[in-house]
Amino acid sequence: MCNSILIKLCKLLILISNYLIMKQTISCLRAPGILFLLLLFSISVFGQTITVKGTVKDATNATLPGVNVRMHGSSTGTITDIDGKFSLQVPSNAKLEFSFVGYASQVINVAGKSTINVTLAEDTKALSEVVVVGYGTQRREAVTGSVASMNGDKLRDVPAANISRALQGRIAGVEMSQTDSKPGSGMQIRIRGTRSLNATNDPLVVLDGIPFSGSIGDIDPNTIKSVDILKDASATAIYGSRGANGVILVTTSKGSKGQSAQFSYNGYFGVKTAIKFPMMNGSEFAAMRKMTTYANTLDEADDVNTDWQDLLFRTGVVQNHNLNLSGGTDKGNYNFGASYFRDQAVIPLQYYNRYSIHSSLDQEVGKLIKVGFTTNSIYSENHGNNLGSGGALGASPIANPYNADGTWKTIIQQQTSGSQWVFTRHALESLGEQYVDLTRGFSSYNSAYGEVKIPGVEGLKARVNVGADYIQSNYGNYTGVGVFSGSVTNPSTASIRNSHTLKWTVENLLTFDRTFNKLHRVNAVAMYSAEKSTYWTSNTTAKNIPADAFQFYNIGQCNSADITINPANQNYIESGLTSAMGRVMYSFNDRYMLSATVRTDGSSRLAPGHKWHTYPAISAGWNMKDEAFMQSVTFIDRLKLRAGYGETSNQSVDPYKTLGLLATSPYNFGDNTYATGYYVSQLPNPKLGWEFSRTWNFGMDFTLLKSRLTGTVEYYVQNTDNVLLSVSLPPTSGANSYMANIGATQNKGLEVSLNGVVLDNVNGWTWEVGLNVYTNKNKLTKLASGAQQDLGNGWFVGHAVNVIYDYKKLGLWNTTDPDFKYLQTLQPGGNAGMIKVLYTGEYNADGSPKRAIGPDDRQILDCDPDFQGGFNTRVAYKNFDLSLVGSFVSGGILNSTLYGGTGYLNNMNTRATNNVKVDYWTPTNTGAKYPKPAGLQSGDNPMYATTLGYFSASYLKVRTITLGYNFNQKWLQSAGISKMRIYATVENPFVLFSPYHNESGMDPEPNSFGDQNVAVAGAHSRLIVGTNTPSTHNYLIGLNVTF
Amino acid sequence: MKRIHIKTCVGAALMSLFLVGCSDLLNETPRSSFTPEYFKTQPGVMGGLTYMYSHLRGIYGQAYYYNSCETGTDESTYGQSADGNFKDFDLTGVGSMTSNNFPMTVLWNATFPNINTANGVIEYGTTSGVSDALLSEARFFRAFDYFLLVQTFGGVPLDLGAGELKFNTSTSRVSKRNTVPEVYTKAIFPDMLLAIKNLPDAGRVTGGATKTLARLYLAKAYLTYGWWLQNPKNIPTYPTCDRTDPDGHNAAWYFQKAYDYAVEGIQNAGGNFALQSTFYDVNVGTNDRNKEILLYADHTQTSELYNGGTSLTGFGSGAAPDNFAGWMQNWSYTAITSSKTNWSSPSLVSSVQREAAQALGRPWTRMAPPINVINNTFADKSNDSRYDGTFTTVYRGNWAKGGVTNATLYNANGMQVANGDAILSFLGSEPAQPIDYSNSVYKSSIGAGVLPGRADFVLPPSGISRRVFPGLWKLGPYRTDNGVGLGSPNAGSTRPYNIAKFSELFFIAAEAAVKGATTKAITGTYANDGSAYSLINILRARAGKWKFSNANNATLVADNSATLVAATPTTITLDYILAERSREYYGEGYRWYDLVRTQTWADYAKTYQICGNNYGDHTPVTYTRTIPDNYYLRPIPQGQLDGLEMTADEKKAYQNPAYQQ
Repeated sequence: MCNSILIKLCKLLILISNYLIMKQTISCLRAPGILFLLLLFSISVFGQTITVKGTVKDATNATLPGVNVRMHGSSTGTITDIDGKFSLQVPSNAKLEFSFVGYASQVINVAGKSTINVTLAEDTKALSEVVVVGYGTQRREAVTGSVASMNGDKLRDVPAANISRALQGRIAGVEMSQTDSKPGSGMQIRIRGTRSLNATNDPLVVLDGIPFSGSIGDIDPNTIKSVDILKDASATAIYGSRGANGVILVTTSKGSKGQSAQFSYNGYFGVKTAIKFPMMNGSEFAAMRKMTTYANTLDEADDVNTDWQDLLFRTGVVQNHNLNLSGGTDKGNYNFGASYFRDQAVIPLQYYNRYSIHSSLDQEVGKLIKVGFTTNSIYSENHGNNLGSGGALGASPIANPYNADGTWKTIIQQQTSGSQWVFTRHALESLGEQYVDLTRGFSSYNSAYGEVKIPGVEGLKARVNVGADYIQSNYGNYTGVGVFSGSVTNPSTASIRNSHTLKWTVENLLTFDRTFNKLHRVNAVAMYSAEKSTYWTSNTTAKNIPADAFQFYNIGQCNSADITINPANQNYIESGLTSAMGRVMYSFNDRYMLSATVRTDGSSRLAPGHKWHTYPAISAGWNMKDEAFMQSVTFIDRLKLRAGYGETSNQSVDPYKTLGLLATSPYNFGDNTYATGYYVSQLPNPKLGWEFSRTWNFGMDFTLLKSRLTGTVEYYVQNTDNVLLSVSLPPTSGANSYMANIGATQNKGLEVSLNGVVLDNVNGWTWEVGLNVYTNKNKLTKLASGAQQDLGNGWFVGHAVNVIYDYKKLGLWNTTDPDFKYLQTLQPGGNAGMIKVLYTGEYNADGSPKRAIGPDDRQILDCDPDFQGGFNTRVAYKNFDLSLVGSFVSGGILNSTLYGGTGYLNNMNTRATNNVKVDYWTPTNTGAKYPKPAGLQSGDNPMYATTLGYFSASYLKVRTITLGYNFNQKWLQSAGISKMRIYATVENPFVLFSPYHNESGMDPEPNSFGDQNVAVAGAHSRLIVGTNTPSTHNYLIGLNVTF
Repeated sequence: MKRIHIKTCVGAALMSLFLVGCSDLLNETPRSSFTPEYFKTQPGVMGGLTYMYSHLRGIYGQAYYYNSCETGTDESTYGQSADGNFKDFDLTGVGSMTSNNFPMTVLWNATFPNINTANGVIEYGTTSGVSDALLSEARFFRAFDYFLLVQTFGGVPLDLGAGELKFNTSTSRVSKRNTVPEVYTKAIFPDMLLAIKNLPDAGRVTGGATKTLARLYLAKAYLTYGWWLQNPKNIPTYPTCDRTDPDGHNAAWYFQKAYDYAVEGIQNAGGNFALQSTFYDVNVGTNDRNKEILLYADHTQTSELYNGGTSLTGFGSGAAPDNFAGWMQNWSYTAITSSKTNWSSPSLVSSVQREAAQALGRPWTRMAPPINVINNTFADKSNDSRYDGTFTTVYRGNWAKGGVTNATLYNANGMQVANGDAILSFLGSEPAQPIDYSNSVYKSSIGAGVLPGRADFVLPPSGISRRVFPGLWKLGPYRTDNGVGLGSPNAGSTRPYNIAKFSELFFIAAEAAVKGATTKAITGTYANDGSAYSLINILRARAGKWKFSNANNATLVADNSATLVAATPTTITLDYILAERSREYYGEGYRWYDLVRTQTWADYAKTYQICGNNYGDHTPVTYTRTIPDNYYLRPIPQGQLDGLEMTADEKKAYQNPAYQQ
């Protein structure tokens, strides 16, 4: 009941956006009292020879207190008082420098004058650096937490469909990993590493102030004004538990006040070519087959050489078009835009289309009230997502796809796998109505606010934010008779899946923002909020569809026996969160800053009695350069030190984890009597509570050499306790797992970002360089009951969460090895040319090993990189600019299942599929990296085949190179064009220093989760290289025009 | 007007503040799945019981577990396409037995969740008043699983974390193995006795647990425990314990009980269970779920969902809950070729194509029958119908179903064959004339030979290799939706996997008698004097009855009962029972347990003969297996050890001695 009223209420609130609500809200708020924090700082004053006095004012003739007045080239100085007045003793020939945050500095010769009055002009560049910090903005100088920002234009230097792709490698401490190479797919985002083992590590995305329930990929990069990333706990504390993994604040463009209407077009068009997987050609495969016991099928011949990848991949096309209109009046502003994005993959029939519109409006009503809304609606189509490269990679290169008469075969015989559908571009494109695999998504993200200034209390505002999101996804699949099957009569199948997410958020805020005496800035926020998210999904499958034309549109036409509604595929999830928060930010003279936050959260996901948690955060900043003693250090323009401590919590377990779960197990009693069985798959945990982290963050921001070099260095330590884990149980407990608060993790890291201007308009040349490097050391510090390791889950105290526990490959066994005589002891049934792994057992007196190699010999292999980062550079000459964005990773393990045991593409026995092209052992090639074909096996793979998939993850990669030209010719203005730019971009042009790339020619980034695009699924959380849609080289041209 | 508007808005705002605080927001109501509390209801108990049956699919028909019951015994060795899972179990030095061997994980991981669900059903069901008959199904399956475990691993834990035989909802990660006598006397025997008392004579559902089924298992458990107490070959047990019975009985007492319950099972089956009139009828797909079958892991072609989830028409998953055991000892017969044209300029075509038929099915060539099986176990191939009812010995042309339009093809000796004719035959014995293996003119493509005057290619027993061997007809697929084509041969078998048969009651009684049980006259349908000789002869007489010949693919009515009975030795020995068991249950997953129970594994499986991996390998090679005494217990799976929160020493002690490192 509570539910339906709330939903109605939400709708009502969105519709109303009426100032009366705001008035009412204030009186109802149960906000904590607003705190005023006052700090006293001693101000030292120095004097000499003559006394100079004066007043500093701004352009509006208002006096400016707190302005630095300093003798140029010395540490002598003072600051202006409350009335903007100063008095200073200096040599009569001195120069005085006046500087104040947000204003352009001025240097004035004293030249014996005893009175100097100064008017400081606003520094528009400095003022524009406003950072979004959540429930408010702050000027960059005043920020005390760890906040990284990127404005929309910079972001769009990398033309990408997805914000996270555009950000990849560009912000220190923010790791964006590719999880899928298909069009329209998202990225895995990790801010300062992994802290949770089973709970989510995904950051919170906040769109225009409201927590965003969609995927970050739903946000059109064209609409973005800025992205601000809150990295440490003192910055994220205001978002409480939801911000435990960092917060990405996305602000969309709005018109500015009083701005005349502006119309712009941004677009690009490009082609993509596949980076092929390194498979064997016909003769290579035939040669390997000779070393095995497998014979050719009737469709295979040693002299055939079919490149199935060439027969499959096409040239992909990507395009993006965006129209935007923005403007402002003296009391408001607006922004409307529409975008179209299409990404056509190199795999035929696979594409992603996105249509989006957005609008936002802010309007002041009278003197006290302001209302506004933002709405983003997206419709997307994702087709052919179930297609991959696997069919082409696995196909036998000595199988001929053509009949004797030159026509295409539809089926070929392969070795052990038998008849196979011929998976080619021709075959896919000929399917017509026989195949569809389409997800149509519609999502609408809406937020509205009303804000009222409380009369009588200057700076006090009440605000209500209401967010309401609706996301729906409609999936339909149809596969006609015989399609993708080795049997031409294989029945047709269809399935539909519908899922819906409904989410509402209500936030009541009181803010107090005021500067006292121009020196004391106070910003206080109190908030009370509630949110609820409901997700439900349904799924139906059927076979023997009566006609191709029906596809999945009327499954009801099938025989009822052919229709399946699997209870395991229907789902309903609901969760609620309610919170109260208070934050005070205080700054004295923009020199000393302090921010304190307290938040309490209650979550439905946790067990009764453990639902609530309260946590504090505090941080301080010191703009050191403003101190008198720093004045003489002239090469430093700005220097700020920051320190913060904060706690955050994580409740991100799936709902209902405290209750235990019965899994379903359908069964038939006789041929057609059906029943559903239930068994305990997950045990209840009535004690499931919050996981929480304590973070220390230390940062330094600096600007050097007349703003030619700016940078940030940060160090953090984050300790996470009561880590939420899905604990695998030994089978004898009768259940698979349970969710619990067990263990502790630690993340320590160092982040450095540097931006330099090497050439600042020297003969028309400008050259800028940016670099970020970061490292995160992740460590498990505690496991359940003091255990040092948990082999079932692959967790080891003192090691990173992301480790592989496997044998360590030393090389291959050769008859010349001194220990070859022990091969049969170490490896019963072993052969020369098989993989040799580390033996850690004991030896007998005669030097022989005491036992065979076994599970105890497995080693912990750390997968995390040592450090990583990104770089960018931009060279401009007159109207031309050339920019380059790249990223790098050093160390760590890349797991390529093409080479390892789970992909079935490196079986080394030619049993069915083609083999990755590898240098393998033969009696005459004993120094090879890969084992002897058809040697000792474990399963279908060479013994220890998994070790073949581990590569160094190091790489340096140029992501994009863009050459642009900005028009500023006269004719533009006469055509009403205020800005126009054309550019050409190459994406993914080259890779350096990557052992994996060097061997395979492939992209050194993962393209799949561990349980995807492989023959044998591994752990989902481990990213791998699998048989996904191949990476591509992209070539784009683009145009930006503003009228 | 304006006033009303204002009031509405004020009201809405007030409500929002009130409702946001509504405590409902933090409460949870699952709407799409059940919690363990559901077992407190009658429908919950029924759901739990359904799981007891469906969990059988995790074990029976699961080919890797199946492999562990056959490969390494006298019945099977690894085939040419065998992966490590199969070679490890052959014990001929091509692999090794370790805790990482996947097949044992199958059994371990399938049984304990079911035992715990049974614990829950029994515990919750008792308090909420569910009938004893229903709860006894849970008791049966709990005992059934423990019996499997104790035979395979030795002693296993009765306490899953909440006390012995208690429903575990705790999250304990420690475990202690009970001893073998504890598992039998605390779990298996009491549960089976209650099951016999409370179960119905006819199953509650098709394939449901019955008194007869429980009698079979109790008899078999008594027999097995009797052997264990007696321990004639001094095979070690684990965890270490004295071979004394906590209930104070001796081996003889248990042999007697085994005999008594088996006889009770034979005499009291009523109309519910009976021997089929021919051996063919027991195993032919058209007659699945017949009255001889006491328990099976059921499957169906009528519903993908209820069959367990993977495609019924595409490629089966090669994992439980699919029934894919039949793929393993099936060779790649599709490699056999005939010619569309005269052999002077041949145009090769696959004349036996992959078909969803009981004689064919999906070939994985993972296991193969040693030559000894063909020559010794099934020495009598003409009177005894069981050779013909076990193997596919003749491969017949089906190219028309695969879309090849030629009415006839050229085969051996240039003779023309039609669809349905024999393309390849495995001979029952060595022919007098030499076989031409040259394949120089008549290309079988599989190294088969030619005998003068025969249109079919041939292979004698001595030509059986790891690559080309008679397929296992018993477990082949049977479907009714093939139409005129080849059907869906790559899906998991939609036939039920047979687990327990009425016929085994005769074997158990006979074995108990051989072990010294006092026999008594049996009354009713199978009336006889109750001696081992008479009991065995009931099955041998049935084996002499023919109604159909698979080799001929034609009706063959014959009654050779008298001949077979006449050939039965008057003194039945254990060896004779084991030989008969192999003839009756060849390739069904009984063998390892039979040899381990009777402590004869090392003797029976010591050597075997088979030809090599390649086409054209026709020279039998003798292989020798190494089977130490402590291999009579299988390794505890590594996943169990890894999942335990115990010290390294404790974990080591948890493992069976042969696999402790």
